[in-house]
Amino acid sequence: MMGFIFSVLLLSGIAAGLALILVISEKVIQNYGSCKITLNKGKKELTVEGGKPLLTTLKEQKIFLPSACGGRGTCGVCKCRVLEGAGTLLPTETPYMNDKERKEGIRLACQVKVRNDMEIEIPAFLFAIQQYQAKLAAVEDLTYDMKRFRFELLEPDRMDFIAGQYVQITCPAYKKGVDEVSRAYSIASDPQDNHFVELIVRRVPNGICTTWMFDYLKAGQSVQLTGPYGEFRMSDAQAPMIFIAGGSGMAPFVSILHQMRHAGSTRKADYFFGGNSVRDLCLGQQMAEFEKAIPSFKFNPVVARPQPEDNWSGQAGLVTEAVKRQYSDLSGHEGYLCGSPGMIDASIKVLVGLGMPQDKVYYDKFA
Amino acid sequence: MKQSPQDKNLERMLRSGRLVAGGFLGTDSRSLDEIIAEDAAVLHRLGYSVSDVAARMQDLRDLARPALGTWIQADEELEVKSEDYKGIIVCPWPHEGRYEKRITTAQRLDTGQSISWSDLNIHLIRDHGFFEGRGAFFRIEPEELIKVIFKG
Amino acid sequence: MILLAANTSSIGSEVWMAVVTCFAAIFTQNILLSYFLGMCSFISVSREVKTAVGLGAAVVFVMTATTILNWMAYWWVLVPLNLEFYKYILFIIIIAAFVQLIEMIIDRYSPALYQNLGIFLPLITVNCAILGAVLWMVIREYSLIVTVGFGFGSGVGWMMAIVAMAGIRQRIDESKIPAGLRGPGITLIIAGIMALAFVGFTGVLQ
Repeated sequence: MMGFIFSVLLLSGIAAGLALILVISEKVIQNYGSCKITLNKGKKELTVEGGKPLLTTLKEQKIFLPSACGGRGTCGVCKCRVLEGAGTLLPTETPYMNDKERKEGIRLACQVKVRNDMEIEIPAFLFAIQQYQAKLAAVEDLTYDMKRFRFELLEPDRMDFIAGQYVQITCPAYKKGVDEVSRAYSIASDPQDNHFVELIVRRVPNGICTTWMFDYLKAGQSVQLTGPYGEFRMSDAQAPMIFIAGGSGMAPFVSILHQMRHAGSTRKADYFFGGNSVRDLCLGQQMAEFEKAIPSFKFNPVVARPQPEDNWSGQAGLVTEAVKRQYSDLSGHEGYLCGSPGMIDASIKVLVGLGMPQDKVYYDKFA
Repeated sequence: MKQSPQDKNLERMLRSGRLVAGGFLGTDSRSLDEIIAEDAAVLHRLGYSVSDVAARMQDLRDLARPALGTWIQADEELEVKSEDYKGIIVCPWPHEGRYEKRITTAQRLDTGQSISWSDLNIHLIRDHGFFEGRGAFFRIEPEELIKVIFKG
Repeated sequence: MILLAANTSSIGSEVWMAVVTCFAAIFTQNILLSYFLGMCSFISVSREVKTAVGLGAAVVFVMTATTILNWMAYWWVLVPLNLEFYKYILFIIIIAAFVQLIEMIIDRYSPALYQNLGIFLPLITVNCAILGAVLWMVIREYSLIVTVGFGFGSGVGWMMAIVAMAGIRQRIDESKIPAGLRGPGITLIIAGIMALAFVGFTGVLQ
């Protein structure tokens, strides 16, 4: 009997001892202590708790690297340059890097763990990015599948952005089978109206975020925004401009036009708006107001397939053809494009074909 | 049955709603391997390979793209259109694969049957033999697809 | 051919015995192809050579290390206390704890190795080939040095079999296999044929 009790105790003792070793070593081994992250050669220094991926660590420190997949290492968007302290490239990162990036030390922030002091480099504009609590103030139908959302910024209560930039909106897990994601939309509001942000959104079939915004989001509901991101903006030159955009690609131009109106700009701007049918056209009245306020601005809606019952008297055909009809030499112009990759690729071809230098074509591809 | 850690991650990713609403497997309770094998068997019976099907889908998309979202005639009995939406979608498999949200729709003029697919679908079919699970939004039934995109 | 760890006097002949046992464990008594242990992961994780190499390397390491650890636990703790009947429980606990510990250490100190090898560790905690090798080492009463050779050899044998299988499966991937035999079905048949081939090694080591 004693032998039996002894043997049970011995075995339990061994098991408990091993468990204790595991617990202690977990405390010792998994403890990375505090690490120092130096950003952009000393522009900023952060002291953080080690052990988490760089992307999340930076997010906790209010530095928001853009990421489309939410840290799963599938989108390759959160690339940043790590000068020191990242260790060797991981197998999960190699598919996303070309040789040049490998040499420069580009890494995926979501895969690199903070294990020791690090030195990294990120684009300067990311420092200005903040997280905003906002609430939906108003929704307006623009077409059958487009809406304009107006958000009131609560905390912080103002965003200073340059016309043409975009924000990311966090879409919560609003129903079963949907996880939290974030999506980017260009700001479509007046930069001086800085307590509010407006977005123009077109419904994506089965889209996670647009379905939420269209069907679930109600006025007064609070949302989370980060921004402003992006380098798309009007140049400082005085060259005449061609804008080409269809659908929700309108957003940055609405903002740019507000900015031109405030500045009393006399810079020539010709806006070609492309739609498949008359029902895709929108914001005609606001454009007419801009034409009145900015004499050098002209709005040209172009409809690809007008139906007889539409009584369409404006331009017909593809938007690129309309540009070709109106201009024969664009060597002194600048081009600004926003929209689907197909539209942008076709437009670049036409603009460059008409003599516009490639580096004077600025675009914001839907991505 | 045991799965390798990579396969486990992949299946978790496909079932989750992190990349597409409802996930890639929909309400399908079959495993990924079973879904792929059963669809391959259907294609095999009909005498097509995944590369035939994917190539045809890609050709139709390329044909429709310059029309920027309007219908265009592919042959005397088939018309197609290809619409772009804002955003990119990534392939759930662990490699770099970013696809624009572009949806191509093909419609038979004789039967009125139509079917839609995204650029990601083409990649999933060509490179992974994956037509998505039943109940997924972009599930493509190989039999119906073949009826629409191939003549006769 | 059975090698018993007789109380050989010189270290030299012990080492020689270990080498022979190692080769025997790889070829003539391959733990997978002769004894069909560790079949589950063998069938399900043999689709790609790269993955198979990772899993195989993890098995080699864990098998070598745990046979040694368990040898010590058995001969130095259980046998003196006459508690040999506890060996199954103790062996499993030791294997699990060891694998956990190693996983933590690799994750901490070598992220690249962790991605290649560490992620397979949880998978082999419950691999019966590991426990099988440990039990064999006890039943055959190997000495410590021979145990090292046996553990390592068994691991290498298992790795060789799974890598070979992955190579074959990658090649037959495009072949037209009857629907009912796809996946595990054809893999089992191939494993059987491979096992037949390994029978050919019988008698090589005398």
